[in-house]
Amino acid sequence: MIFQGKQKIWSDYQKEIPDDHWFYVRSCIRQGFFPGSEVAFLDICRNKLGKDFFETEHHTTCGGIAYHAEALPQETMMTIIARQFALMGEHGYKNYVCSCITSFGLYTEVLEDWRTFPDLEDKIREHLWKSCRRELTKPEYLAHASDIIYKFRNEIAAKAKHRLVNKFTGEPLRVVEHIGCHYSKMFPSKGVGGAEYPYVLAGMIDSWGGEVIDYPERRHCCGFGFRQYLVKANRGYSMSNTHKKFESMEPYKPDMIITNCPGCPYFMDRWQYVIAEQTGKTYGENGYGIPVFTYEEVAGLVLGYDPWDLGLQMHQVAVEPLLDKMGVKYNKKDKYKGSGGKILKIPEFPMNIKCC
Amino acid sequence: MGKLYEQLIRDYRIKEGLKACINCGTCTAICPAAEFYKYNPKNIVNIVQSQDDAQIEELLKGEQIWYCGECMSCVTRCPRRNAPGLVVMALRSLSIDLGYFVESEKGRQMLPLTRRMQSNILNYGYCVYPRTFLYKDHPEYGLTGKWVIENMEDVYERLGANLDGKGPGILRKIPDESLAELKAIFDETGATRRMEIIEEASKLKAKEMGIPYDEYERKAFEDTEKDHLNH
Amino acid sequence: MKRNVLIIGGGPAGMEAARRIRDYGHTPILIEKESRLGGHLAKWHKLFPEGESTEELLTSLTADMEGINYFTDTNIVSINKLKNLYVAIFSNGISVQADAILFATGFSMFPAEKKEEYGYGIYNHVITNADLEHFFNTGKDPRIKEPKVIGFVHCVGSRDEKAGNRQCSKVCCATALKQACEMKELYPDATIYCFYMDLRMFGRKYEDLYLNAQRKYGILFVRGRVSEVSEDIDGRLVVKAEDTLVGKPIRITMDLLVLMAGMSPCVENPKIASMTGVHIGEDGFFMPRDLLYRSVESHSKGIFFAGAATGPKTIPETLNEARAAAMAIDHYFKQKA
Repeated sequence: MIFQGKQKIWSDYQKEIPDDHWFYVRSCIRQGFFPGSEVAFLDICRNKLGKDFFETEHHTTCGGIAYHAEALPQETMMTIIARQFALMGEHGYKNYVCSCITSFGLYTEVLEDWRTFPDLEDKIREHLWKSCRRELTKPEYLAHASDIIYKFRNEIAAKAKHRLVNKFTGEPLRVVEHIGCHYSKMFPSKGVGGAEYPYVLAGMIDSWGGEVIDYPERRHCCGFGFRQYLVKANRGYSMSNTHKKFESMEPYKPDMIITNCPGCPYFMDRWQYVIAEQTGKTYGENGYGIPVFTYEEVAGLVLGYDPWDLGLQMHQVAVEPLLDKMGVKYNKKDKYKGSGGKILKIPEFPMNIKCC
Repeated sequence: MGKLYEQLIRDYRIKEGLKACINCGTCTAICPAAEFYKYNPKNIVNIVQSQDDAQIEELLKGEQIWYCGECMSCVTRCPRRNAPGLVVMALRSLSIDLGYFVESEKGRQMLPLTRRMQSNILNYGYCVYPRTFLYKDHPEYGLTGKWVIENMEDVYERLGANLDGKGPGILRKIPDESLAELKAIFDETGATRRMEIIEEASKLKAKEMGIPYDEYERKAFEDTEKDHLNH
Repeated sequence: MKRNVLIIGGGPAGMEAARRIRDYGHTPILIEKESRLGGHLAKWHKLFPEGESTEELLTSLTADMEGINYFTDTNIVSINKLKNLYVAIFSNGISVQADAILFATGFSMFPAEKKEEYGYGIYNHVITNADLEHFFNTGKDPRIKEPKVIGFVHCVGSRDEKAGNRQCSKVCCATALKQACEMKELYPDATIYCFYMDLRMFGRKYEDLYLNAQRKYGILFVRGRVSEVSEDIDGRLVVKAEDTLVGKPIRITMDLLVLMAGMSPCVENPKIASMTGVHIGEDGFFMPRDLLYRSVESHSKGIFFAGAATGPKTIPETLNEARAAAMAIDHYFKQKA
């Protein structure tokens, strides 16, 4: 692998990311499965970096998952998105940032579609007015939340309490980066680094001291597939794609995986558990799995957040081996506690994949 | 040009996604579905391109169009700027609109899928929502998932979420006036109609298959009787 | 009366035209941007359809250069029209008055790194057709290490709207087969694949080349465009395509992948066109007055074309166009007189 070749491509895909005043919209999946990530993101942006990120309680799902499952027609999805944009305009913002990759892909696509087919934009404006009495304002800048962390990766590195370095060996941690398909596969120029060698996560890993692992199935989908996961009968599709990725990355012995899509870390975490329970196979060291993180969680660890404040207890694959390598201190007893130290019954442990 | 083809090309996703296919196979080569299912996106695009209604009807009533995962990996690679994924989405929409989806096992999944998705959005404002994400439907959520479900309020509160709460924040209660706007959008833009079409066609199909409607829905969500896999 | 003809480009088109123009009794002045004549041809080892030696062809082309003024390492700085003359200034400071100009500017190799998914310049064992010819000439390329499985990817940057080259580059199919056979000669135990969309074997003896590749050399043909290349932990290449004749995705691990980089319009075309008013097609190649009858004439009086300047061409086509252009230029002078 020739690193300079990738650098050359990265330099072709620079994306303009304004550095302040964002209208923030949440992700359905991230809220449900990785709430700590969104908390950490806003805390980093607002309190560590001093930026303005505005949120209104009136924003909703973009409808993206339902749309990609064909449960919503295209015009419904577009009108929901138009409503989100209208909320942004009503609050005086021009920069729109979303937590979800499915949303980011759709926002990008919708804006492109409206540019190509102005009659479609007119129709959606009309739908929005008729159903909500709101006026569409299109954002001047559109970013995914990982673009923001990418932009401030060096500021985060400067404040780092921990680095992506194995404290036992002094070697960089070996990190697999997984980019959500809808980040840049449809519109390569809209993603940092393009579609083939995206730099948005690789840049964070570089800045924070880790080593990026490239493996044959790097570009392959995690296997969400919308209806292929949401319908119980189809989940073999989802698992087999995750399985394919893990078989491909296994020889590289990655210490961790970092993702920018809300769904991918969930699937890559949970399917490891299912594969282990069904076949006995585990992909990490000593019977553990390979821990999978959101970029907010990794940024949080680098900045010294408590792992249980970040919500790492919600993962199925144990994160402790990685925390130990990074030198992150944690209190084992606090892992499964509720608010204010409330004692909760701890989860059951799986048979085949080691947990702490 | 056939009638079905005429209907298809009214869809913006066909306008955007089908220029002219050169049959090179770059889409199928990396398609996650093509490896798993008996599926070939190139062949689907080729059939639509042929404008042959008989073959298009077969697609609309068949299993194949439901195999795609809409990851859009095909879009990156096509040398002709086609988007096979968008072509499939247009086919699925037409299959639903015409009620053809009930003729295939994978198509019949639209009933449980649409019910779940639409009710999550209309009732809560989220596509996926913890209170409707049940362990019995999602055993892969794992033992920590089970723990999260069993200790939902405590776990979310400890992490700083605003489950069911007022004001902004994670999993907040989306205000009723905003949910009412979503309902109005559904009525205005065809989502409500889509649910009705799916219910009507599914009911008829359940009758034709001679099974109770509840059982029809359960089967659609859980069961696989045909061989869909690419061995 | 002796006339000056400025020939831009010292590849096969320019060299052949220069001699013919001289033979008609005119004065050719040839400039070449690189340090030696021969163009892309000079970098090649052997030619299709029958493995003809490039060296011999170049020897024929350069055997008789008497009376031909040529400058290497020289670019055009400006061209201005002055009544019936063109005044050209070269980068070496020389300026000439020309009665006619021949654009024999050829093509630029498609930059293979632009097809990012193939990883040229990123993966260690991905090379181009030009790199392979260099290897045949020198025996040296650190990327080629006793390969056991080799792939040839046709249409790299050809017939590709996303890469900005919609046209077929015409010579790559035959070149791929020629190179595949040569590799089989060098590495008899290697398994060699050609990934093609259409095999365009349109010339005399080309079909024989194809037959030979199949029968004598056992080259395997996969009808499918390569979609993605990656590198595995052993540094081998993982190549994904669809075998479209079977309708199944395939994945093959290889030791060497050769990208058949196509012909792009010469990168200097827009600059030269703006100096002279000649037309450029939407594909970036120069546009002759028409594509059938007056294919060596431009829309500007006294300016002519030969070779790949007007689109991808084979060597014999290029040489014939050079001769036709020389004849057309001579005819133009006679009419003027």
